[in-house]
Amino acid sequence: MKRILIVDDSFYMRTMLKNMLTDAGYEIVGEAPNGQTALELAKETKPDLITLDVILPDNTGLDVLKGIKAEQPDMRVIIVSAVGQEVIVNEAMEYGALSYIVKPFSEEKVLEVVKKALEE
Amino acid sequence: MKSREQEYKEIFIAEALEYFDALNRLISELEKRPQDDQVLAEIFRMLHNLKANAKAIGYLQISDLSHKLETAFGLIRNKELSFSDEVVGVLFDGIDMLGELIGNIDGEFPVEPDQVLLRNLDIIVDSLSDSTIELAKVQKFSTSRNLTLSDLIYIQIRKLDHLMNLVGELIIDRDRILSLSRELDHDELKQVSSHLYRITEELQYSVMDARLVSIGTLFNKFPRVVRDIANAEKKEVDLELSGQDIQIDRNILQIMTDSLLHLVRNAITHGIEKPAEREKSGKPKTGNLELSARSDRESVVITLADDGKGIDLKKVRSAAVQQRMVSADVAEDLPDSEVFSFLFEPGFSMAKEVTEFSGRGVGLDVVKNAIDSIGGRIRVESEKGKGTTFTLQLPTSIAVKGALLFEVDSIFYAIPLIHTDSVVALDKDELHEVSDVLVADIKGETVTVVYLHELLNTGEPNMRLGDKTRLQGQVQNIIIVSYNNRKLGLIVDKLYRQQDIVVKPLSKPLDSIDLYGGVTLLGTGKVCLVLDVPAITKYFISKR
Repeated sequence: MKRILIVDDSFYMRTMLKNMLTDAGYEIVGEAPNGQTALELAKETKPDLITLDVILPDNTGLDVLKGIKAEQPDMRVIIVSAVGQEVIVNEAMEYGALSYIVKPFSEEKVLEVVKKALEE
Repeated sequence: MKSREQEYKEIFIAEALEYFDALNRLISELEKRPQDDQVLAEIFRMLHNLKANAKAIGYLQISDLSHKLETAFGLIRNKELSFSDEVVGVLFDGIDMLGELIGNIDGEFPVEPDQVLLRNLDIIVDSLSDSTIELAKVQKFSTSRNLTLSDLIYIQIRKLDHLMNLVGELIIDRDRILSLSRELDHDELKQVSSHLYRITEELQYSVMDARLVSIGTLFNKFPRVVRDIANAEKKEVDLELSGQDIQIDRNILQIMTDSLLHLVRNAITHGIEKPAEREKSGKPKTGNLELSARSDRESVVITLADDGKGIDLKKVRSAAVQQRMVSADVAEDLPDSEVFSFLFEPGFSMAKEVTEFSGRGVGLDVVKNAIDSIGGRIRVESEKGKGTTFTLQLPTSIAVKGALLFEVDSIFYAIPLIHTDSVVALDKDELHEVSDVLVADIKGETVTVVYLHELLNTGEPNMRLGDKTRLQGQVQNIIIVSYNNRKLGLIVDKLYRQQDIVVKPLSKPLDSIDLYGGVTLLGTGKVCLVLDVPAITKYFISKR
């Protein structure tokens, strides 16, 4: 079973993502509401994939992405963003994010992006 | 079973209300420090989440309004829009409207966003330079709002109440089983019942713990409230908050909400002076209001301190005389502490005029009643010209305790069952005077026995705890209590029943007496003092 870490500051978003992904048979190894926890959990749980919100309370998603990639260069990271954040998303792709999801997202879109990312 | 839609909705609302409270706090901060990038980033993040979540769940009015506000704050962050008074007004209105929309998701009547407000938002967003277009006045929804706590616990509190009551009943049965196991002297039963004891004890604390919320859920509403009242009163007030992380029973906090709001209103309306007046008396122009909480053993202490004009004792005296609460000559001689207590008398008022926020005839007696109802205490200290401090001492939890009821000298007492070991009836001849105490052989163990009548009613110089002649009657009812492996027999006049009680802390002047842990009301309405077994044991040791 593929293991996923969810990083998002909104409990609502985390719950939605968690439900969608567990329904599809993935294991959620952790949920991080901020960058600090995200970095700790990434190290601790070594997931197969991380979904990463780009706006976090303590630091930006980009910093978290850089931090994760510095420790685990092969980590698969998917960016979760909203309309109007194209600049950040592009930057994230340059730093090694595999793909991105735009809020509000549909279940199909999430599963499609996650499946594809895990195959890479 | 809750449907997933229902679950999403509840989570959305709870989180949205949290964001709403935080936004109110943050925008009040921003008003003071418009250049604070961190505050702006936080506002931005919350509006952003609100927009995304609302869009996902399908509350489009909320997501649209959040989007407009987000855009406006984005412009402010990029310095394309100045944080002027006019703009601030529109943004506050916008956040209020958000609150209305969130609060009415489950409401009977759907709320529509105010069109004037939406247009105002469009105006400030679209006209980047200083706008010449008049911002239309927005109809205010309510100026003296009621505060409601967001349900951060995703469980109905009544379910926790029910759970708490069940735990209370379980504890009574547990103690019965415990004492039966001792009576029967059955080893296996003793083992099982002591395990049961630990489990139920842990259960009780877990349920109590589940009811705790941080006091910040209430405190964080005050920056906005203070700003609004201060604006209406044309005063400048800085609010300092501390101790938001302190935990307290949610129901206690709920009961205290209106009282705190009342005290804060009072402090601004009657306490803190207008800027000009403050400068004249050599104070900084801006008044200071401190709202803080701290833990103090079994209770939470909330303090509200202002640096305003203080309470004029002379005026309190004359108001009390005027309102026929005391005669003029008696009032003159009353000590200050007693004069302050008039403030908490029903109907007492010092307000000369009714303002929008205070002086509506609701006095401090309402606050006092609320605090009494949960077994808390309130104290006021004030110095003319310097300011006023209210100190509220509140229980952390509404705890249910099983207790054994008895009577001494026609007064009801209770002992928490946790400390009750057994009850025996002994003939006077079985009690022996040893030095200055009485002892008895109880199931092969020599136990010190105290005549409660003597201990509770006789002043120290005349107390004869080792004098058998003071006992009344031949057969003595003795409750054996234990504390820290130390047994003590307490001779009582009459024994009643076991009952679960809600212990409330004592109010003055009894609180200075260490032998009582609190007070409870019996079903009959009679007051019953709860003996503090640890204290009585220690007291007795000190007597010896």
